[in-house]
Amino acid sequence: MNITDLNKFDKAVIVAFNGIGKEFRSRLMDMGIYENAHVVLLNKLSFGSLYLIEVDDIEICMRKADAIKIEVQK
Amino acid sequence: MIFLLAGNPNVGKSTLFNFMTQSHVHVGNYSGVTVEKRVHHIRYFEGANLVDLPGTYNVSPSSEDEGVVTYSLLNESYNGIINIIDSTHLKRNLHLTVQLLELGVPSLLVFNLKDALKNNGYIIDTDKISEILNVDSVRISARERNKDDQMNIVNKLKNIGAIKALELDYHEVIKAAMKEIHELLRYDQLQVKKKWLALQLLEGNDGIYKHIDLIKEKEIREIVKKTEAVIIENKIAFSLKGAIFNTRREFISNIVDECLIKVEDKEHSKYFNQRIDRVLTHPMIGIPFFLVVMFSVYQLSFGTFLGVGNLLTTYFEMFYEGIVINYISQFIEFIGFSGFMYGLIVDGVLAGIGGVLVFLPQILVLFFLLAILEGTGYMARVAIVMDKFLSKFGFNGKSIVPIITGFGCSVPAIMATRTIPDKKERIITILTIPFVSCSARLPIYSIIVSSVFEKHVALIIMGIYILGIIVTLLSAKLFSLSFFKGAGSKFLLELPPYRIPQLRTISYQALEKAKRFVKKAGTFILVGSIILWILSNVSLSSINVTPDTSLLSSIAGFIAPIFIPIGFGTWEATSALISGVLAKEVVVSSLEILYMGDVGSGFTMLSGLSFVVFSSLYVPCISTIATIKSETNSIKWTLFAVVYPFVVAYIVASIVYLIGGFFI
Repeated sequence: MNITDLNKFDKAVIVAFNGIGKEFRSRLMDMGIYENAHVVLLNKLSFGSLYLIEVDDIEICMRKADAIKIEVQK
Repeated sequence: MIFLLAGNPNVGKSTLFNFMTQSHVHVGNYSGVTVEKRVHHIRYFEGANLVDLPGTYNVSPSSEDEGVVTYSLLNESYNGIINIIDSTHLKRNLHLTVQLLELGVPSLLVFNLKDALKNNGYIIDTDKISEILNVDSVRISARERNKDDQMNIVNKLKNIGAIKALELDYHEVIKAAMKEIHELLRYDQLQVKKKWLALQLLEGNDGIYKHIDLIKEKEIREIVKKTEAVIIENKIAFSLKGAIFNTRREFISNIVDECLIKVEDKEHSKYFNQRIDRVLTHPMIGIPFFLVVMFSVYQLSFGTFLGVGNLLTTYFEMFYEGIVINYISQFIEFIGFSGFMYGLIVDGVLAGIGGVLVFLPQILVLFFLLAILEGTGYMARVAIVMDKFLSKFGFNGKSIVPIITGFGCSVPAIMATRTIPDKKERIITILTIPFVSCSARLPIYSIIVSSVFEKHVALIIMGIYILGIIVTLLSAKLFSLSFFKGAGSKFLLELPPYRIPQLRTISYQALEKAKRFVKKAGTFILVGSIILWILSNVSLSSINVTPDTSLLSSIAGFIAPIFIPIGFGTWEATSALISGVLAKEVVVSSLEILYMGDVGSGFTMLSGLSFVVFSSLYVPCISTIATIKSETNSIKWTLFAVVYPFVVAYIVASIVYLIGGFFI
């Protein structure tokens, strides 16, 4: 499953990044989004086009196209 | 002595900088990039200066701003680093700290936001952190501007000493590669530790190649590539950077477990944030709320009802015309200037600069209000609610800040695009921002529309504004489908917690922008006014001629025929447009001079409308062009930014002229 499969306030662990380019991976890492990180889906915004997640107490917003590529496990 | 101030974005770095320092030593740019470099004196510390580095998560750059950090560490001379850390987000902040401590430079850790941390029910054992990391530290709350905190920092800086570089236990593959690169760096003269540089190169800090010519660059790149392959092949991590990151994360995680102590159970302030966010980023409420906020901002800056900015401008105008021009013109007469020189100084220079300076109060109010919106963290929410809409046009949610600023002035709007990390998206935004109708263009609309139309004046002006937005969006769409294919696909935004902005920080930001505006009046507009006045008062054979026999009328008359198909092929309208390139305000003042105060006499309803549409879209003013040049660093795009709007303006104006012909 990936981030878009989560329900609101579900907690999960990131297991893999599928098809995300090196540069964007690196930016995700800088913001604290890495393998084994714990995420909480806080909200789906703009009619489901954006996903607001929380990692290490930081709230980060990303597009659905990118959230789909982040594989998680509950 | 020189200290560098480094830290993550949004951790109170500017607040600390302003609080620690007094009088500035130097504000300029870093060489080669347009990022501003601020150096100030440290208060209560004779002879010590503080350099403000851009906020960054990592020493390796991911945008132009952040590239400065690597540059400074490699090339600037400094005696130590102050690393400011957001205590409420220790885990992420310490990644930068680890990288800085690996450098082995005298350092001081400043743990900020101790009050916010306490509100969350935690304290940090900073003594323990100091012990583990082997570096001095202080806990402060920069917002409180407490003198004890300040003296504490200064005393620690005075006693700052050499530290042993932090060494983490990286994977053997990485350690081996570090050794190999270290060997190859033997040939280079460097001011930083070679071991650190080797690790940074492995991590993918490509800024290093840009800033220093490594003799064995090719061999080093080979090793980095080879190591990356080994890491992935042996499933040590998903990437080389990931492997290094993982070791640091584990190290940091242990520190946080040991040093972050929960003292009481409190409802986390973040729930308060989230409750507000549920409303402000709500798909149905968010956008209307934003429109109301923006409407209020413009009303306060430019409106007549409750318009603080507008009122101040009126007073300023009275002061300028009544006192400044009056006294200077008397003085000039007194020292014996008359005729040509008198006209040049009073009607040319003073009137020209004044025409622009009178907008200063409005612009100051606008920038002040926008800085408040930024400072509270609201703009990040706006970026979210607007992302879906803007992404359809090849923009990014983050483009909303430059677009909004563009209604005030294109120059700061273009500078505000620096926060867009994707280079393509950034250039799209830069090239299209000038179509957003800036405040300098409003006088053109209001004077011409009100003099040729009897009814619906406000409606027509609003239409022109909307036209500007439509052209901006469509152009962005066009660019993202042609020159910049593949842009506009990424949006990653950290939602900062809401904060009450500090008056000092906000006034500083607003004043800095106002200063640039005044500088523009003192340079481009000064020169422009002189040239315009001279051209409209001399001919090839004599000086002191009337405008219609002047050199200006011959030059403009030569170009004017190209505007005949769109309705305003007169030399007066053409001169106004030419001089408007200096500054859009000048269009109106030129028309006023050339038509002797009766602008309406020069236009019919249809040609007036066509002229207004053309002038709202054509070539950006010189200050904007210069900013585009310095921000894109490309002559090609700068030329494009001049030619493209002219073509678009011509096409749109001819459509308006054609279609309008059926109705008017």
